[in-house]
Amino acid sequence: MRPDAPADAPAGGMQRLRRAGVVLTGLMRKELLALSRDLHGLAALFLMPLMFIVLMSLALQNLWEPPRPPARYALIDGDGQGPARALAQRWQARHGAAQPLPADWRDALREGRLGYVLELRRGFSAGITELVDASSAAPAPTVLLHAEPGLDAAILLVTRAELERMVGGLRALAMVSELAPSALGSVSPDGVSAMIATERVAARVQPNAVQHNVPAWLVFGMFFVVAALGSLFVEERRCGALARLRGMGVGPGLLLAGKALPYLGVNLLQAALMLAVGLWLMPLLGSPGLSLRGVDPLALGAVLLAISAAAVGLGLALASLMRSSAQALAIGPLVNVLMAGAGGIMVPTFVMPAPMQALAHASPMNWALEALLTVLLRGGSLAQVQAQLWPLLGLAVVALAVAAWGLNHRSPLE
Amino acid sequence: MLRATGLTYTYPGAARPALEDVSLQVAPQRLLGLLGPNGAGKSTLMALLTGLIPPATGAVHWRGEPLDFRAGRPRRVALAPQQDAFYPMLSVADNLACFAAAAGLSGAVSRQRRERALELTRLQDWCGRRAGQLSGGLKRRLNLAIALLQAPAVLLLDEPTAGVDPQSRAFLRQVLRSLVDEGLALVVSSHLMGEIEALADDVLILDRGRVLRSAPLAELLADQQRRLTLDLAAADLPAALALLAAHGQARPLDATRVELLLADHSRAAQVLGALDAAGLVLRGAEFGRTRLESTFMALTDEALRDEA
Repeated sequence: MRPDAPADAPAGGMQRLRRAGVVLTGLMRKELLALSRDLHGLAALFLMPLMFIVLMSLALQNLWEPPRPPARYALIDGDGQGPARALAQRWQARHGAAQPLPADWRDALREGRLGYVLELRRGFSAGITELVDASSAAPAPTVLLHAEPGLDAAILLVTRAELERMVGGLRALAMVSELAPSALGSVSPDGVSAMIATERVAARVQPNAVQHNVPAWLVFGMFFVVAALGSLFVEERRCGALARLRGMGVGPGLLLAGKALPYLGVNLLQAALMLAVGLWLMPLLGSPGLSLRGVDPLALGAVLLAISAAAVGLGLALASLMRSSAQALAIGPLVNVLMAGAGGIMVPTFVMPAPMQALAHASPMNWALEALLTVLLRGGSLAQVQAQLWPLLGLAVVALAVAAWGLNHRSPLE
Repeated sequence: MLRATGLTYTYPGAARPALEDVSLQVAPQRLLGLLGPNGAGKSTLMALLTGLIPPATGAVHWRGEPLDFRAGRPRRVALAPQQDAFYPMLSVADNLACFAAAAGLSGAVSRQRRERALELTRLQDWCGRRAGQLSGGLKRRLNLAIALLQAPAVLLLDEPTAGVDPQSRAFLRQVLRSLVDEGLALVVSSHLMGEIEALADDVLILDRGRVLRSAPLAELLADQQRRLTLDLAAADLPAALALLAAHGQARPLDATRVELLLADHSRAAQVLGALDAAGLVLRGAEFGRTRLESTFMALTDEALRDEA
C-alpha cells in the first residue's frame, strides 16, 4: 500500500470541518453498533426501567389512594341496643357485610384470616349520650378495635378515625333527638363529611402510581447510560483502540462528542418508550394511565435534554477517570443505585424522614425527577423548571470538563 | 526519511526515564528492527513516534520537517499496537469502516483503502465475522489492516506476530516485506530474533531506555563471524581462559563454556590446536554462525530480568 501524497497536504478550514464531520459520523456509528451488540447494556437501558415502571406502578398503586380498612372483618355486638345496631349497620353499609364471627376469632386475627374485629360492648348505647366530666375518670371503653398483627399502622389509624367519626355522629344524633325530636328524621348522619371537600390546587392530572413511577424510572434508566458508556470507554482504553484513535489524529473533543451524541439519542428513545408505556401499556394492565394533559412540550423537551446532558456528562467523566473494566462494572451501577436510592426514585421523597429528604436534594436524580414532576404533574412551564434545569446543566458542564481533562491528561497508553 | 533525535520521556511518578536520548532514522524501503528486553522502552518509543505522548526533549522529523501531531491533521506515521486494538464486538468490515472514518476517509477513497487493506492481509472472506471471534493470526492481520488504512509513509508494528502460528507468522513477514518493497518505511519491534534477522535491514537494540547499538543488520552479524564458543570440562576452564587471552577477548558463559572474540577471524584453527597442545579436552565448538541473538544477549547481558 503506497503512501498517499495528497494526505500530506495541509488541510484548509473547510476541509478540516469536513474531515471532522466524517470522523464524528464514524465514531457515532461505532458507538451505536457497539451498543446494539451489547445485550446486557440494552437490557439495562431499556428493559430494566420498563419493567420497573410496570412492576412498581402496580405494586404502589394504592400509595396515592387513601388507605382503606381491610375487607375481611367481623362484628361483635355485645350491646344489642339501637345505637349499637345503627353503628353496625352504617359500618357495614360503608365497608361491606361483616364476616360471620368465628369461635376462634382471636386465632383468626393472629393468623391474618381476619383483618380486624369491631367489638361493641354492653353499655355502648347507654353511654352514647353521657357527658363525661373532664375532672372525672374516663369510663371503660365500650368500642374495641381488635386488629391483626400485620395491619398497617396508617390503616389502623384511618379505621379508628372513621370509627370515631361515626360514633361522634351517632352521639350528635342522639343529642339532637333529645333536644328536638321532630327534626331527627331530616338529619343526615354524614352531615359533617358533606361539609368538608378536598382539592389538589392546580393539579391538572390526578396523581397516581404511574404518574410518579414513569418519571422516576425514566430518570433511573436515563442515568444508566453512565454504566453503559463507562464499560465501552474502559474497554477501548484497555485494548488500545483509544490510543489508536488518538494516534490517527482524533482529538478529545471529537472523541467525547462521538460518545455523547449517540447516548443523547439513546436517552430520548428511552424517554419516548417509557412515556409510551405509561400512556398505553399501563391502562391495558388495569392501572391508571399516564396523562400528558396540559404538559408543555417545550418544557418537557428541555427537561429531557438537560437530564440526558447530565447523565451522559457524568458517564463520560467517570469513564475518563476509571482505570479498569472491574471499576467500570462496579462504579457505574453503584453510583446509579446510590443516586436513585437517595434521590426519591425507589421510594417517593414524601415518605422519607426529614434528614433523608434533605439528602435527596443533593442527588442529581432528584433534580431530574423534580423537573419531570413539575412538567408532567404540575403542568410547569420552561420558566418554572429553571430551578431544576440549571443544576442539571451545571452538572453536565462540570462533568464534560472533567472528561476532557481526563482525556487530555491521562496517557492513552495507560 | 523519518528521523528522531534525542528523544527522552519519563512517565509521571517514575524514578528513571523510560527513554533517554534515543535517536533513530528509517528511510523509505527500509525495515528497522527494534530489539530490546521487556521494559526496554520499545512501546514508549513507538508512542513518541506517533505523537501519543510528547517527548520531554527531542523531536521527530519527516523529510526535515517536524511531524504535526495536532488533532485533526493527517498522520504520516501509523501504529499497529501490540494489543488487538479494535472493537471485538464489531465485524471486521465495521472495524475497518470505523477506523477509516477516524482517519478522515470517506466515499470512494475510504472504500478503496479498505478493499486494499483487506486484500493485502487476505481478510476478504472474514468481513462479516465479529473481530472477537477471529483466531489469533486473523486478529493480528486485522490489526495490521487497520494501520494500513491511513496509507502511512512510516508504519510502526509492535510485536506484529506475537502469539500466532508459524504459517500466519510467515504470511505476515511476507506482507511486511512487500510493504517495504512498495516504498514504506517500517519499524518492527519483536522479541523474536529470527524474525528481525529475516526481515530487518537495520537493527536498533534498546535496553533500559538507552540505545545500545544501532547498525545495519549485516554489520551486526559480521561481529558474529569472529565469535568462537568452546565447551570444555569444568576443571579445564581457568587454564583455557588463560590460554585464550592471547588470541582475543575471552569470557566464560557458564561453568563449562567460554566465548572468544577472535582478534583475527582466520586464527580459529590455531586456537583449537593450542588447546589440544595444552592437553585441554574440547567437548564441542561453535564458530562462524551468524546469530543476532548472540549479539543481543551479549549487549543486554544474559541475566534474567525481574523488573516490573
